[in-house]
Amino acid sequence: MSDTAGVLPDALKILVAGGFGAGKTTLVAALSEVESLHTEELITAESIGVDDLLGVEAKTTTTVALDFGRISLDERTVIYMFGTPGQRRFSFMWEELAEGALGAIVLADTRRLEDCFETIDFFEQRQVPFIVAVNCFNGVRSHLPGDVRIALDVDSGVPVMLCDARERESVKRVMIELVSHVLELELSGA
Amino acid sequence: MSVTPGDGFGDGGGRLIRPYSLTGGRTRPSRSDFAMTSQVVAVPMMRRAVELEPEHRAILVECARPASVAEISARVRLPLGVLRILLADLLDGGHVMVHESTWQRERPDAQTLRSVIDRIRAL
Repeated sequence: MSDTAGVLPDALKILVAGGFGAGKTTLVAALSEVESLHTEELITAESIGVDDLLGVEAKTTTTVALDFGRISLDERTVIYMFGTPGQRRFSFMWEELAEGALGAIVLADTRRLEDCFETIDFFEQRQVPFIVAVNCFNGVRSHLPGDVRIALDVDSGVPVMLCDARERESVKRVMIELVSHVLELELSGA
Repeated sequence: MSVTPGDGFGDGGGRLIRPYSLTGGRTRPSRSDFAMTSQVVAVPMMRRAVELEPEHRAILVECARPASVAEISARVRLPLGVLRILLADLLDGGHVMVHESTWQRERPDAQTLRSVIDRIRAL
């Protein structure tokens, strides 16, 4: 709606994906200018496979919470960072989250790298640009990015870096790495 | 004060979901109408909108200043799917303006991306 374009800011959407406990909410909170917000979407039997409902207490509807944060770059530009549930049973949300996303940060916990596989597959299929950020708890760099790259089997063009999701400057570096990666793709015509 | 003719709110009857077939051909709110990051702002009202439900009013309060669909959802504590239907009511009634960035459809150009990088660095 062009008549409102001069009034309302343009939004960029960045996804923060990763398994349960990988530090998504922490990473979003490290940079968000507002206290981390959360919204909900209803899960219905149509949203997810009937099989997936087994083990979810046989409920036919429930809700999934999405944590997100906001960063105003200037009066005209705002970034929203959405924590993206990594579990397969939330995959019905991935399509909507991916639509219009500038890119994604896959936050990896080296104790449970397998939690990243499904979201990485999804981003590759949907051609959502992504980088992998290995969250180093307690500052212990127990894994080298190269090892994680091999373990996750990501394309050589995908940046893999270490980060501390609690540290604002570290999260800024992750964000800059992601947008730089998107810029490279843009310049290469990908 | 009378309801403005043609604004489609006369038959609301307290239902959350109105028959969109009767409101100018609009069907169910689609994701493209209200992306999670679409910016919504309330249009200042010259009259008290008698047709609005409390939920509608709560939404208008939250978007007195521009806010995203996701932010409004978080603040009024309504699931996104429900909020979108209520926002469609408000949009149909001329109570809100919505702005979806072109970036929802296409990647920002290189100049914009460089500017974004500089601004993140400066945070």
